[in-house]
Amino acid sequence: MAEPVRVRLRLNGELREFSVPPGRRLLDLLREDAGLTGTKEGCGAGECGACTVLLNGRPVTSCLVLAASCDGCEVTTVEGLLAATGEPHPVQRALVEAGGVQCGFCTPGLAVTGAAIVARGVGKAPERSRLISGNLCRCTGYLTVLEALERAGGAPDGAE
Amino acid sequence: MDLPIRRLLRPRDPEEAVELLARYPGALPVAGGTDLVVQLRSGKVSAETLVDLGGVGLEGIAEGAEGLVIGAATTMDAIAADGRIRAGWPALAQAASQVGAWPIQCRATLGGNLANASPAADTAPPLLIANAQLRLLSSRGTRLVPLAEFFLGPGRSVRTPEEIILSVTLPPRTVPAHATLYERFTKVGPRREQIISVVSLAARLVVAGDGSVGEVALAVGAVAPTPRRARRAEAVLAGRRLTGPVRRDAIAALQEELAPIDDVRAPAWYRRVAAAVLLDRFLAEVAGG
Repeated sequence: MAEPVRVRLRLNGELREFSVPPGRRLLDLLREDAGLTGTKEGCGAGECGACTVLLNGRPVTSCLVLAASCDGCEVTTVEGLLAATGEPHPVQRALVEAGGVQCGFCTPGLAVTGAAIVARGVGKAPERSRLISGNLCRCTGYLTVLEALERAGGAPDGAE
Repeated sequence: MDLPIRRLLRPRDPEEAVELLARYPGALPVAGGTDLVVQLRSGKVSAETLVDLGGVGLEGIAEGAEGLVIGAATTMDAIAADGRIRAGWPALAQAASQVGAWPIQCRATLGGNLANASPAADTAPPLLIANAQLRLLSSRGTRLVPLAEFFLGPGRSVRTPEEIILSVTLPPRTVPAHATLYERFTKVGPRREQIISVVSLAARLVVAGDGSVGEVALAVGAVAPTPRRARRAEAVLAGRRLTGPVRRDAIAALQEELAPIDDVRAPAWYRRVAAAVLLDRFLAEVAGG
């Protein structure tokens, strides 16, 4: 009944093409069609941030993004944060070192938003807190997450 | 889980988009989707056909003869980061940085925030005090609508199902020499970040050299069926000095002109009090500064 749509993505650096139902969410394309299960579904309503991926370099909650609207876009998932050598991204390393990981469910989203914060070069702690506030974590209490963001990049506070 | 739609159409320009909306009755335009996808999933809204406005070239902010023109598909993140908006329309930049969280702001669009016609839409009060104009397009052509005449009620606006919002124009504003501009957007909710406003206030005051109010514009969100200007409170403040009694009169006037409701987010009495507190804080800051 539904007319399938073609979606071409540069997914974690690789050109990929998918044919999906028109109502498919980017989250489901990533997990079900591309087999990238690092991206998690939490609330399914754009409030928890577990499904955050980078769309053309900007963080988005992939549960609210229609896959078909991403045709021609660049998508980076948590799997794509690894360097070509397999080295973890500085944010991933900092999350481990600062103890910003407990159960791990929110961690892929935190790492992706964190990588975008580092890429933006956000030096002020309150601004980093604002930008990460959409990634909910019920384990760590956030202090270790914020410490990880500070370690991972950004200039020292007030340096902006 | 896939959304229960049958087709998603991807026009390449605005004219093709409105042609498709006219050809498929019941079709809904979608831009960022941060609101519509939630509603389609919950079943609150249903549609066979979606027309994706992401690829029709409505992103961007440009200076024109009539003022600053913001394309309807411009994201909250882009608005919050724009130097011209931060300098000339600071309440709008502040509101855009408080719509949902950052991953929502990177996807949600200005046109979507207005088209939903939510009484709590955060960009509406700052645009009301900016006397913003909307440009709408249908297959019959374009029309200009002042934002003050756009909203009809919760979820209802003068936009017809076959129309899309093209852009929002902010007329130029100037501050006279020796006067000081104060402009601010504030909102109240259970958490500082990522909340739907329980009450919001956009306020702009130009204070003349002698301390009197030269220009005043106030608009409130989530305390009436639509976002709206607070004209009675404005009238109290216009031309006056911000003495204690004048501030109290303005707050009383604001409370009289609100029409809040009880809902899941707050009771009406709380909204009435919180709106007064937001205005009181703003006036106290201006008077003290």
